[in-house]
Amino acid sequence: MSESIQWKGYLLSVSNDSLYIQSPFLSNDAPVYGPDSDATTMGVAGIQYLQSIGATFSSIHLPESVDAFVVYVATGVDSPLRNEHLDFDAVQWHVIEGEQAGMVISQSDSEHFEFTEPLGVSSLDDSFLSEMEAAWDAECSHLHVSQGAYVSQSQYSEGSSARLTLAAQAFGGTTVWPPRQLDASGARLPSPNGQLDAKATVESWTKLSAAGAPSEFSLRAPILGGIQTLLVRFKEGPRGVFLVCDDVEYAPAIGDSVQFAVRRIYAQEGLIRYGLKALPLTETSVQNETPKA
Amino acid sequence: MNNRLNQMLVRLRAGMVDVAVIGAGQTKYGNHPLGLKGMWSEAAEQAFSSVDHDFDPRQVDEAFIGSVAFGGGQLGNTAALLTEHSGMEGVPVRRVENACASSGFALRDAWMAIKSGQADIVVAGGIEKMNDLSPERKRFWLGVSGDTEWERLAGLTFPGTYALMARRHFHEHNSSHDDLVHISVKNHMHGFENQQAHLRKQVSFEKAASGFMVADPLTLYDCCPTSDGASCVILAADHVVRQFTDDPVWVRSSGAGSDRLALHDRPSITQLVASQKAAKSAYSAAGITSRDVDLAEVHDCFTIAEMIATEDLGFATTGQGGHFAREGHGIRNEGAVCINPSGGLKSKGHPLGATGTGQAVEVFKQLRGTVESARQVRDATIGLTHNVGGSGATCSVHVFGRERNE
Repeated sequence: MSESIQWKGYLLSVSNDSLYIQSPFLSNDAPVYGPDSDATTMGVAGIQYLQSIGATFSSIHLPESVDAFVVYVATGVDSPLRNEHLDFDAVQWHVIEGEQAGMVISQSDSEHFEFTEPLGVSSLDDSFLSEMEAAWDAECSHLHVSQGAYVSQSQYSEGSSARLTLAAQAFGGTTVWPPRQLDASGARLPSPNGQLDAKATVESWTKLSAAGAPSEFSLRAPILGGIQTLLVRFKEGPRGVFLVCDDVEYAPAIGDSVQFAVRRIYAQEGLIRYGLKALPLTETSVQNETPKA
Repeated sequence: MNNRLNQMLVRLRAGMVDVAVIGAGQTKYGNHPLGLKGMWSEAAEQAFSSVDHDFDPRQVDEAFIGSVAFGGGQLGNTAALLTEHSGMEGVPVRRVENACASSGFALRDAWMAIKSGQADIVVAGGIEKMNDLSPERKRFWLGVSGDTEWERLAGLTFPGTYALMARRHFHEHNSSHDDLVHISVKNHMHGFENQQAHLRKQVSFEKAASGFMVADPLTLYDCCPTSDGASCVILAADHVVRQFTDDPVWVRSSGAGSDRLALHDRPSITQLVASQKAAKSAYSAAGITSRDVDLAEVHDCFTIAEMIATEDLGFATTGQGGHFAREGHGIRNEGAVCINPSGGLKSKGHPLGATGTGQAVEVFKQLRGTVESARQVRDATIGLTHNVGGSGATCSVHVFGRERNE
């Protein structure tokens, strides 16, 4: 018998050594990915849940649809895609992608699992869904290029651990995030050596109309009716700005508590930029730390 | 050593070289039909012709031109191209870039060039062509001056950044959107009389309060327009000023500051430390306080920016910018200080690189009494310009006066 859990904007069922994770959104009674989700974000969330209950990952096999670099940075879990010398038969964990927006993460390579149907699904409008899918398809095209200055692939990669795991610099009772270089005396700050608590408090928020959003969001912002950004403070002191996950219906207020989950931010020149987005922290959310990478 | 050089060295040693504005001009801001060369030459021509006695652009020793080079059409060697088309061929020239504060810093660089004794006559100017781009390219360029890696990946352009500041100010200081509406109405009222303003229309409180939401809580009436425009001022060292005019406006001081680029990296998001540093430095060097200022051109790219600026510049105490606006302070000839007699960025317009020296053009004309009579600030002797880059990473403040520093 498995239990149904809400976790980082997904629904989970856990049974013995296996986990089933599913999108909470349905279309025509079948699970579909939310506006910011894909197999990579779902895989990261599933692995993070298993890590949070004590599972360890010496190796994992990922389907091609899951970005192994993002999984590695966000969870610290390596995969055969990153380690070509790994013996496939000796892989400890398997990620098996379903035909719809769901996947199993298991130590077994069985094709048959039994899970309780997760609770808490909601329907997505079909036309909204198809418009979002078309927008992402166009955005992910190699032809969708930058208009000029932008966050390059190397700059995105350099900041990925801070962006995906809240990796921070802790020294002398101070915590710095996002990472900085030299201090006021010209001394180099230490490399990131810790992580922020993955919960924060809303200090301000805004919703930009589609006309006011950056051009990177120009294909999706009109469909979403604008994009919502929160400015939050972590309990360690640093602040940050984050988009809201999956266009959830959320009217923020200063003082709200939020958690974070890995989601797609935007795509450019064929590369999807992933990062953390904010989710309101509700009583039904499972609350715990982002696992160590 | 000739007499003039000797005189200058003596004054330099005593730290006494004063700098004056001897001429200033600008294009009308808005959807300008001309391109970069045409707009710049128009602004330069107006500045040259505003000099009371004969002025020859070949007399210029140095030129500093502020521009973001919006759209990237002339990203490199912008200044050389422009001076070539305004009679200043061969003059040492460079583009100055500090986002929306580009020409405020061009003005500061020009002032410093004269103060250093290396130049006697220096041009400071600015230019931006913003309305010849598609909406998508325009949105792209409007967001390149924040912390791209973090703010842009969180979906923020400047309307969003200033909206975060506004909501926090409301929360911390019990201010409200109505306070911002008062600022919008005032600046449109001032700009209505300005023939060079982009948006020459008055708006009612009700209309400004119910505008289209751009970035909650900021509406269309809280946001400046994207404008084309160019502006140009001519500075001269005191020992050559009388060759050109008997009616100079003195640059009594120049202050500047900077801060962390990303809003979330700053200790407070309801004040701009760069503005505070720039103002403190400028007031101190001019030997004045905020109470001595008769008119101020402040950087109101969004109405919340003016509310915060009134606090940072000392016209209102910290947290009381909303009250200051609500009580009707800042209206022309109705109180101690007139804020944005030109209409400000909100009404006059905001051609990014041209804004800083455009503010100086307004102060020059106000202090000389040559603006349209309907919008003349009466008995003004001290004016101030406040030019901010982005959401406050850079700021310059200049104090101008009818008289030199004592």
